[in-house]
Amino acid sequence: MLSRRNFLNATLRSSSLIALAPTVPGFLAQAARAAAPEQDSRVLVVIQLDGGNDGINTVVPFGDEAYAKHRKVLRLPTDQLIKINDHVGLNPAMREAAPLLESGRLAIVPGVGYPNPNRSHFESMAIWQSARLDPEEHNGAGWLGRGLDEIPRPVEGQPASLYLGTGAPPLALRGRLAIASAIERIDDIVLDAPITSAGTSTDDNDLAAFVRRSTLDAYTTAERMAELARGRDSSARYPSTGLAERLRLAARLLKGGYAARVLYTSQSGYDTHSGQLPTHGALLSELAGALRAFLDDLAASGLAERVLVLCFSEFGRRVTENGSSGTDHGTAGPLILAGPRVKPGLAGPMPSLLDLEDDDLKMTVDFRRVYATILESWLGIPSRSALNGTFDPLSILRS
Amino acid sequence: MIANEGEAKIGGAWAPYTPSPETPWDRRRVVHLHRRAGLAATWGEIERDLADGPEASITRLLDGKSRTYAVPSDFEATADLLADAAVASNDPARLKAWWFYRMMFGPDPLGERLTLMWHDHFATSNLKVDNLAAMKRQNDHFRTHARARFGSLLEAVVHDPALLIWLDATANRKGHPNENLARELMELFTLGIGHYTESDIKESARALTGWTVNDGDFRSVPSRHDTSDKSILGRTGPWSGDDLLRLLLEQPVAANHLARRLCRTFLGEKIVDEPAIEALATGLREHQLDIGWGIATLLRSRLFFADPNIQSRVIGPVEYVLGPIRALELLDPPASTLVLADWAARLGQDLFYPPNVGGWPGGRGWLATRAVIGRTNYAAALVDGRGIGRPVPFDPLGLAERHHQGQDRDALITFCGELFVGKAPNQGWHDRIVAALGPESSWGPDLARRAVALIIASPEAQLQ
Repeated sequence: MLSRRNFLNATLRSSSLIALAPTVPGFLAQAARAAAPEQDSRVLVVIQLDGGNDGINTVVPFGDEAYAKHRKVLRLPTDQLIKINDHVGLNPAMREAAPLLESGRLAIVPGVGYPNPNRSHFESMAIWQSARLDPEEHNGAGWLGRGLDEIPRPVEGQPASLYLGTGAPPLALRGRLAIASAIERIDDIVLDAPITSAGTSTDDNDLAAFVRRSTLDAYTTAERMAELARGRDSSARYPSTGLAERLRLAARLLKGGYAARVLYTSQSGYDTHSGQLPTHGALLSELAGALRAFLDDLAASGLAERVLVLCFSEFGRRVTENGSSGTDHGTAGPLILAGPRVKPGLAGPMPSLLDLEDDDLKMTVDFRRVYATILESWLGIPSRSALNGTFDPLSILRS
Repeated sequence: MIANEGEAKIGGAWAPYTPSPETPWDRRRVVHLHRRAGLAATWGEIERDLADGPEASITRLLDGKSRTYAVPSDFEATADLLADAAVASNDPARLKAWWFYRMMFGPDPLGERLTLMWHDHFATSNLKVDNLAAMKRQNDHFRTHARARFGSLLEAVVHDPALLIWLDATANRKGHPNENLARELMELFTLGIGHYTESDIKESARALTGWTVNDGDFRSVPSRHDTSDKSILGRTGPWSGDDLLRLLLEQPVAANHLARRLCRTFLGEKIVDEPAIEALATGLREHQLDIGWGIATLLRSRLFFADPNIQSRVIGPVEYVLGPIRALELLDPPASTLVLADWAARLGQDLFYPPNVGGWPGGRGWLATRAVIGRTNYAAALVDGRGIGRPVPFDPLGLAERHHQGQDRDALITFCGELFVGKAPNQGWHDRIVAALGPESSWGPDLARRAVALIIASPEAQLQ
């Protein structure tokens, strides 16, 4: 098998793009020389928590006397919690997120949900991803896909969003025109083959020139990726968990100038019907560790100000624990936002554990308000048609 | 524009191609025919077509008889076995592999390209349908009616579970209309944007009420059907779903929409203008929207074989993956169809999983960064063998020798150019390949393999 190292040495190096500069059109030579990303558009990173995250044991209302009443086996001792204020604290498994809290890079929107909550995984996730409450409108486009349809692509021929994970990109990223790319691993954009230079030709027609440009762009990106893969990524240390690996890849891509507006990934396992404590703890630990490593990595590369992370789940879980040391499907739950541009802390009141509806939390914030804020104030995209309505923004971002 | 109306033969933009000094029937045009309308041809098939002339060669392709190399005598039986096993296993990868088997070994590459076109036209994703039997059944309709009258294809596909599930037809009931099927029927499948109103969609949705799927089969449930009058495209009546299909097919613009689809699939960028599309549409109207007539007219035309149309569009992933397999005669031992289907998916075309109901945008969009890199990696995997599930590497010098071509470096580069794009690489391209190969003194099977990979992945070879 011909090795990538050999090819890069034999081909790209010896006929390097910079050496071609006299014959390469000016803008292409510039692109090849540019080490930093050319655009300063903002990026949204979405982490989807699959299964229905138990918000009550994530952002714990220890000051609410009903917490101890409803959670016996699952009660988290107050002194172990990571305090946000006098009555709310984070699950101790999130200790890696404490520095984010302390440095003002973490925000929580409590009580997020939608009217007439649906407790089916598939249906509720479809509601969150499509921003449509009626199941008959879950027909193929999502809030981000529709939003990205409204704006031109940052780079011709390149999707505006990227899904990091196995399988096809989620509904959230699908639009009528917008298509998400999907990468499982960095290997996907690592060249493992011989290449010629893309060449130049003065008698190229428009299509031929486009193909050459695309080839040149791709090989340049691959070279950059190869450099990143060769470990110039020195100070970034990530835990060895699946989510951390995906966020590491996301950071690499951003550092390499990948021009997506939205990066989307997921973390599975939150459907904790039984034996919740250890499972939930492990998941939150993975989440917190990955978040911290990601944001610190971006900060070290000067990119953190451009990135906003959103963590959401399709529903929260029931207030009262069940008979199997777990919880069943519930309704509203907290959203987590992370990054230096968030307005840190709690973005609203915690839902009461006493004033319930059908034994479940009452929602205080419609999730589409969060979406509207992110689309308009963060990504600069009009939200009306993406969300099929106008929703009051929330004060979750620094101005 | 048609020169004489009422004449049986079409003229003007779609006048038939006849060889001339300016547009000879040469290797370039033969390769163009197979690359654009088939799935590439072997050296022997190219030589045969060169000798036989355009009439016979095009007819062979239209009739599904263009392949001589490696079509197993029990092809259909084997294909059926593979399909049954795939459905029974509930593994989508195996259904994709079945289709790749058909495309790799079957006698009718144009038929498979048309099937692929219809899969794109009536783009249905198993992500939602979640039923391999239904997806396979839909695929069979695409193949069976690929060259039929468009009305037969439309009728079959719209009365079929996969599409009905995909477009929520089952939720569409009297008093509770769901517009999804109605909208895509008009916008994407038959008329195109601008040729109906929102009211037409609403009314069409009512006409379609009652259509559902029961026990894996189409059913029309009278109690769910809205029997009152609907006004659709200027006609009022108690239209049923079948009435709606009839109304749509009667619209003159249905022929334009079909003509556009054929041109988009088989012609390059900016090759046809509106008058040419209208001329093809007129012919289609006169021939009851016969797809076979349309494709034959298109492939036989001067326009198809004119210089501007050659190497005038980006080659799609399925053709990019399968073309070299056929052209290089890599069928014994064969590559793994599972692996090839996976490659096509990595290059952006995941069979049975189009990104949305609009299908694959295609065109220049096939060349996103990841896909360009994927194509380059595929070329290397192909010649090595292991990366495509083949136990032995490709032997380029052996192939060249079998076809009485030279064994030295320049001869092989020329041979590959002629095989893949119908002519020897020009000086610039040739020089780039040579530069990437290193010293000529090291020439041998390994460098020959590298040369082939470089050629397949070159920008010049990304066009068809």
